Amino acid sequence: VGQFEIQIVNFARLVMLALVPYVLAGQGTMLGGRTGLFSVSQEGVMLVGASVGFLGAYLYGSLVYGLLLAMLAGALFGLALAYFTTTLKMNQFVIGLALFFFGLGLSTLFYKFVIGVTLQPPLIPTLRDLPIPGLSQIPILGDIFFNQNWLVYFTILLSIFLYYLLYKTSFGLELRAVGENPRAADSLGVNVSLMRYATAIVGGMLMGLAGAYLPMVYTGTFTEGMVQGRGWIAIALTFFGGWSPHLILLGALFFAGVEVLALRVQVGGLGVPYQFLLMLPYIATILVMILAFKWIKAPAFLGQNYDRERRTLA
Amino acid sequence: MNEQTMELGHGVKALAGRLIPYFLAVAASFVAAGIFIAAMGFDVPKAYATILFTSFRTPNGFVQTLLKFVPLLLQALAFTVPLAAGKFNIGGEGQLIVGAIGATAVGILFAGLPLPLLLPLVILAGILFGGLWAAIPAWLLYRFGINEILTTVMMNFVSFSLIDYVATKIWRDPAAGHPMTVPIGAGGELPLLIARPPLNTGILLALFVAFVVYVYANRTPGGYELVATGANPRASRVYGIDVRKMFLLSLIIGGALAGLSGAIEVAGVQHRLIEGLQSNFLQMGIIIGLIARGNVLAVPFVAFFIAVLEVGASALQRTMMIPVEMVFIVEALVLLFVLLSDLVRRR
Repeated sequence: VGQFEIQIVNFARLVMLALVPYVLAGQGTMLGGRTGLFSVSQEGVMLVGASVGFLGAYLYGSLVYGLLLAMLAGALFGLALAYFTTTLKMNQFVIGLALFFFGLGLSTLFYKFVIGVTLQPPLIPTLRDLPIPGLSQIPILGDIFFNQNWLVYFTILLSIFLYYLLYKTSFGLELRAVGENPRAADSLGVNVSLMRYATAIVGGMLMGLAGAYLPMVYTGTFTEGMVQGRGWIAIALTFFGGWSPHLILLGALFFAGVEVLALRVQVGGLGVPYQFLLMLPYIATILVMILAFKWIKAPAFLGQNYDRERRTLA
Repeated sequence: MNEQTMELGHGVKALAGRLIPYFLAVAASFVAAGIFIAAMGFDVPKAYATILFTSFRTPNGFVQTLLKFVPLLLQALAFTVPLAAGKFNIGGEGQLIVGAIGATAVGILFAGLPLPLLLPLVILAGILFGGLWAAIPAWLLYRFGINEILTTVMMNFVSFSLIDYVATKIWRDPAAGHPMTVPIGAGGELPLLIARPPLNTGILLALFVAFVVYVYANRTPGGYELVATGANPRASRVYGIDVRKMFLLSLIIGGALAGLSGAIEVAGVQHRLIEGLQSNFLQMGIIIGLIARGNVLAVPFVAFFIAVLEVGASALQRTMMIPVEMVFIVEALVLLFVLLSDLVRRR
């Protein structure tokens, strides 16, 4: 096997690794959006997930505890979003921003209260690779797809499951109807509020999980602002993926690819100042948005609250 | 005439009606934060006293508060003006940074110029660069209809790398440990209003700009179109207002205001470009704008209150070891309670 091929395989492996937080946060965004809930608090929820996930793993000595705590925290944020927007009918963007700030502050606050200020950051062990027997032996593909940590497998399976749920079941049809035309869904007996609460909470859990992935796979510790815009990029990804689970998974390849590229080339050294490489993911996101907004149709009721007692939809 | 006096009496009542929810919201969030502080085992009355009175105990504390107030006021306006048109500018941070870069560039390149020339150039460069940085997402919204929340945030992240490049590669001060540029020319520095503790004239500039924004939004046809666009875009379009152009304009004005805050940080406070000079002004500014519910007249008062909290929170961390992020939670709670009070009144 040539040097070049090894590099390609390595690159692809890293892309699969970097894919996870984008896809998880993207699917979480998609779920809420499909019922009309447009969250903009991803970055904050992911930060809390990263903080709580790290602290849980550190205090209880188990990554699973950390992941569960991060999901619980994310669920609470989802619950809050649903309550303020669906029950109290407050502006989704304003509540989303408020929750983003809450998460921003809470994540650091939790860390400082539990750990305090230390010279050396405390570390947790990072997630180990879990080669799948048999499949991981396949040349090239085995290394890329079947020799990863279990959250990579989980993310892919989750995306497939969500695709099935949304497009192949009557429940999925009802769910999508809520985001397209809640009045029609309501008149057919679909519980619009319940759907919104459910997708907000599950979506929040996925965002919390996406955040917890960062300390558990990359750094082994929590640092302020460590999500580095991935939460915001996940929103772009969701638009790019046309609010469909399978396309979000595919679209994330692009964002993960750019992220890995920016870091790899930086290490490789190309004469370009590294600052310009670090800009790449964000500029790429903006460019992708130009494309996405040309041919993507978002759920018709995205970002709006449904009030069954009001006569008009607008 | 009769109608006017009635309106006046009504106005006083309305003002009281508007202020009461604010005080209740502040009280409620302090109670909530107090419970949290008590649960962590800290002295609650002492914490309250520190957070509320640090700004007023010493001249130094008061000047610190005013120095915080300036960028917070401008950042809040940078968020509020587009909000009046119904758009969310989350890019004040990047616009501040790029404005500061522009101000610094002019201040270094023309360092030899005397004050009457250099200072206006430095300030104008900040305004111009901030406005241009906002013009990118504004144009993308205008041309392609791309959600401005996302693009303005992305531009923030781009600006972090840009300031790093300028402060480490172009005009790096080799003597400094932290990434920063060499100082700007002395003619680019804002004169001091008070010598000790030092307070620069940036506050006069900021207050003047706040006044201009108020007049624009409330007393000019252009401002009327802006507010009308935010209140009801569909009706405004029917009425003949170019709604998309108003979106574009509001975001660029927001960027110019944020750019000005960057220029003041450079010309008034740091006298050079320092990485991290944007602090958390963006988040504070947005919270202020939301608490003020987009009311330009209320923004300076809320901004001052938040500046008091911020200075108090720093003291809290120094003297009582309570993490400074605590104040973030308090502010988010104030916002939440203010929004909730809105809801109660609507019922």
